[in-house]
Amino acid sequence: MIRKAAAILFLLGLLIPACKEHPYSQGEVLYGYHCAPCHMDDGSGLAQLIPPLTKASLGFSQPERLVCLIRNGIPVNPATGQQMLPNKALSDTEMTNLINFLGIKYAALPQTVQVQDVKKMLAGCQTR
Amino acid sequence: MKQFLLYITIVGLLGLLPGCRDNAKPLPILGNMDIHNGDTAFHTIPLIALTDQDSQIFRISDLGYKVLLADFFFTSCPSICPKVKKQMLRLYDRYKDDPRVLMMSHTIDQRYDSVSVLHRYAYNLGVDTKRWKFVTGEKDSIFHLADQYFVSVVEDPSAPMGFDHSGRIILVDHHRHVRGFCEGTDAESVTAFFDTIDKLLREEY
Repeated sequence: MIRKAAAILFLLGLLIPACKEHPYSQGEVLYGYHCAPCHMDDGSGLAQLIPPLTKASLGFSQPERLVCLIRNGIPVNPATGQQMLPNKALSDTEMTNLINFLGIKYAALPQTVQVQDVKKMLAGCQTR
Repeated sequence: MKQFLLYITIVGLLGLLPGCRDNAKPLPILGNMDIHNGDTAFHTIPLIALTDQDSQIFRISDLGYKVLLADFFFTSCPSICPKVKKQMLRLYDRYKDDPRVLMMSHTIDQRYDSVSVLHRYAYNLGVDTKRWKFVTGEKDSIFHLADQYFVSVVEDPSAPMGFDHSGRIILVDHHRHVRGFCEGTDAESVTAFFDTIDKLLREEY
């Protein structure tokens, strides 16, 4: 009887870490603040105006492009009024956590970038 | 005896039914009222000529016998507008086949939101502009109109892209009286707004 209970407790113990969704809670908070106003809480975007976030649209094969896009944004297109705001104030660590959050949420990638890579990528972004 | 009790119960329950209908209390007419020569004058949205996304002059008196859902936005707005538009799309999806309902989005940015920008915006949003108009006008007129809709709009150089405004969606009846509103940034508020709109439609038609 005690053995049985111990086995159940052991199995429950195994389950608890599995319930934790991902380690990028800072990235999730940053997403909510910087990205969700336009790309929506669920990343669905807005019709043909604001693109939805998907594995393809985020382009994880070239993370340096994504890093620079988030850093610099896209200027206002005078024909449509649409734009993407720059995020100049994000630190290297914040950017790393944001990219990794996007990776695990929209492309099931466990870890896309490390902070030292992001540092280099950010240094390589063309500033405007 | 058992059957008698059953009948009594059914009759009793039927008696409760009218209580379930919310028609008993009509929607309020919002805003301050005035008394003119003994008549009550309710707050009314002024008739201001606006220009729609096809360069056509439009006054809400052209609405005829319709209820109006109005909001204020601008196309380059990076703060609350996309979320409000997402909720406006929910309203559009629900009422697009109902000729009694018209939606109208007013731009508050006369610098950038030309007629052609509004036209493109409507196209990219994928909506029928017979059902959902995008309008512009003189800046002073639009700001005054926002005031009359009880939507706060202010120019603020420190706000993103220069404007601070609320994301309210306003319900107006065919007498141009404001009958309800919701917060367009809050999905639950919009869900509750469906009932308000349906109630007005039942009241008016």
